[in-house]
Amino acid sequence: MTSESITASWVTPSTRPELIESLVSGVDRYNPSNVSILEDYLYHQIRSQEYDCLANLAILKLYQFNPDLYNPDVVINILIKSLTSSPFPDFNLCISLLDDRPQTAHLDEPDPLPQLLPILTNLHSLLHQCRFPAFWALYQSDDLQSLRDNYTVEVVGFEDSVREVAVRAVQSAFTRITSARVSSYLNLPDGSELEDYISKFGWTLDSASSVISIPPNVDNKIESTVVQENIKLPQLAKIIEHTAVTV
Amino acid sequence: MAQAGVPLWAADDEIEEDFQGVDLNMAIGNYGQNGLYDEVQSRIDEAALLAVQQQMQQQAVFAQIPDQVKRFIVHFHQAVLNNNLEEITVAYESGWNRLTEKFYAKTEWPEAEIIAPLVSDDPIFLILYRELYYRHVYSRLQPNVDDRFHSYENSCELFNYLLNSDEPVALELPEQWLWDIIDEFIYQFQSYCVWRSRVKSKSDEELMLLQEASSQGVWSAYSVLNVLYSLIQKSKINEYIVAQQQGKSEEEIAEIVGEYGVKPLYRMLGYFSIIGLLRVHTMLGDFTLALKVMENVELNPKAQFTRVTACLVSTYYYVGFCYIMLRRYMDAVRGYTSILSFVLRMRQYHTRSYQYDQMNKTADRMYALFAVCHALAPSRTDDNILNTVKDKYGEQFTKMQRGEEGISAFEELFIYACPKFISANPPPYDDPEALAAYVDEPPAEPVHRHLALFVADVRAQAPVPTLRSFLKLYTSLDATKLANFMDADEEDIVQQMMVMKQASRNVSRVGGEKGLLEGSVRPTSDLDFVIDENMLHMVESTVGRRYAGWFIRSTENAQRVLDTLKSSPLPGPGKSAQAPNATAEAPRTGGPKVAWGGVKVA
Repeated sequence: MTSESITASWVTPSTRPELIESLVSGVDRYNPSNVSILEDYLYHQIRSQEYDCLANLAILKLYQFNPDLYNPDVVINILIKSLTSSPFPDFNLCISLLDDRPQTAHLDEPDPLPQLLPILTNLHSLLHQCRFPAFWALYQSDDLQSLRDNYTVEVVGFEDSVREVAVRAVQSAFTRITSARVSSYLNLPDGSELEDYISKFGWTLDSASSVISIPPNVDNKIESTVVQENIKLPQLAKIIEHTAVTV
Repeated sequence: MAQAGVPLWAADDEIEEDFQGVDLNMAIGNYGQNGLYDEVQSRIDEAALLAVQQQMQQQAVFAQIPDQVKRFIVHFHQAVLNNNLEEITVAYESGWNRLTEKFYAKTEWPEAEIIAPLVSDDPIFLILYRELYYRHVYSRLQPNVDDRFHSYENSCELFNYLLNSDEPVALELPEQWLWDIIDEFIYQFQSYCVWRSRVKSKSDEELMLLQEASSQGVWSAYSVLNVLYSLIQKSKINEYIVAQQQGKSEEEIAEIVGEYGVKPLYRMLGYFSIIGLLRVHTMLGDFTLALKVMENVELNPKAQFTRVTACLVSTYYYVGFCYIMLRRYMDAVRGYTSILSFVLRMRQYHTRSYQYDQMNKTADRMYALFAVCHALAPSRTDDNILNTVKDKYGEQFTKMQRGEEGISAFEELFIYACPKFISANPPPYDDPEALAAYVDEPPAEPVHRHLALFVADVRAQAPVPTLRSFLKLYTSLDATKLANFMDADEEDIVQQMMVMKQASRNVSRVGGEKGLLEGSVRPTSDLDFVIDENMLHMVESTVGRRYAGWFIRSTENAQRVLDTLKSSPLPGPGKSAQAPNATAEAPRTGGPKVAWGGVKVA
């Protein structure tokens, strides 16, 4: 995953179908009857481990203008999905679009969002602060039982996606790291399971010292640079012109 | 009829008597003067009586209007009818403001109905007049509930007139006015949202009106967005910009944009509506969409649509703010640096308009946001701007460098500098029970929600400044040792290092991207590090000495000196300096000769 492709594919994921693209980029996104198309697309993302931030924000915007469309399950799923995008600001962007007090009169069951929102915010801040062991501890605690049973279990590959957040953080900061540390960050037991998982990213484990080596990438290869001045011809043009005239 | 020189309404009182141009009586005509009184004598009808009383009141008010103002209105009307852009601009920019200062500094201008006879009830001019009238009310006075609804109606009429005509209207207005129309429309919308959310202070009448209003979509987010999108679509401004960028010829462009798009009025309104959308989406908290609508616009002070400075300043302010909420601090800093330098240069041209105050306020907010970004992503920036920021916000600036302690400074500056966020939905005025519950427990204002998100981001980065100060002292350092220095657990330190690494990488535009949302991850700080198992290795990048500017300036200076020498006459009797003399002179002076030689080599 090169740096370039992260941002370009964040704006326009290759997995986004044309219909969704026209909704996201045009004025049809304001049409309330299109909300179900976007909601279906969200569930598609959940089932196929894909992610499309702008399309999900479009759903939240429709909820913003049409409070009677508000569907808390959709919102929770969007937030869960956005957790996996850290360190991108997706989670914050979603919260920015939420109404402080959504209308719940049209719902069949009581709104689960007020209880879950602080929990999700907590999970997000742990991820953002790279406190991965704490994240896994919280995630697996009893308090989050209902979140796991009702929501994250539906999201295919949720735990792997979170692991990728940790992988990104580790990859940029380390050249070598103890396997014990990695194991705590990824919530995978130290051993063959861990080794299998990290080999996907090209990391290698030295079983003797149980230290994992991370191949050099843009971020973990540091070199001191001296920013040189780049003198361009136009800057000298005036002087050269002057000499041409006088000499 | 005004010739070059003093415009009519600015003429002194003495000249007024001599004035021959506008015949007020002819302009007024027979309106209400002669025939009506007889009618009243014969029919004693209550409605007619009321109407007459009203007319007499109007006439009384009319009579109180100073002559200068009446003349101004007539002249203004003429200019608009003749599509005389220069005259309109003068009337709009200086005439209106002068008369406001002189007569209407604390009161409203006469209502449109009163001055209608002066302009023969021209509906278009009256719409434009009302636009100015309400703008004055909103800025100098406090609009009441009627003002709010009527100004909305007036705006709708204006946009209806522009958008729903069979062919493009023949009207021509100065760009500054077009920008002000859009800007004011959005401002009134925002003002309404804020007013609407304050439930407690509403009278029963107001509550009823609010209920009615929301059912009709008055000042609803959808209708405001609808206006902006319609203007964009009508003028095909996006297609125009793309065609311009592709270098298409005039005829091709004219074909692409259609009959509406070729008219400057529509084109400028379309462009200003894009900026309007940027603003509205930001106020509603949708930062990515705000940047997305600016997809085709080139943010460059030298680009095409920059004649209205206020628009440019506003654009950069909102784009920068969106970048901040997207954690793209470097992009924000870059934007603010260029616009603040621009404002400093442009200041001298704008000293007298009310735009000047507005621009200064926005500039101050941008300095605050610059300070915030600089604290979160320190990097090499323009010294001038940095110094000004330290002057204005020195206290907060130093506090913000101190991590957790500085959070209150961040909050202060954020609240001062952020846009006025609004909530898309009104309080539940149609449901009295819900409304009562709303008053008991009002929801937090939108600004607090965004502030909380921002503070969470800041807090996540709180350990970074201290870590950075430690790391600067070493080229390699063991993590356990660092943990001991910081009196913290080693694992915590390692995690904070990952955060620091994360914080030092921002998404940023490097040039050549299409649209404002694109970008790639760039390092922001000159201090970089990597962790090898438990050992931290640091490097710092430095800036080489910059000598080109100094040498170029000195060379140009020397050339100037030499030119002066060559062209000045020789002292004493005899011929004036010619080339042979100059060369004879040159060897005598030591310094310039060396420089001259240098120039030749270059």
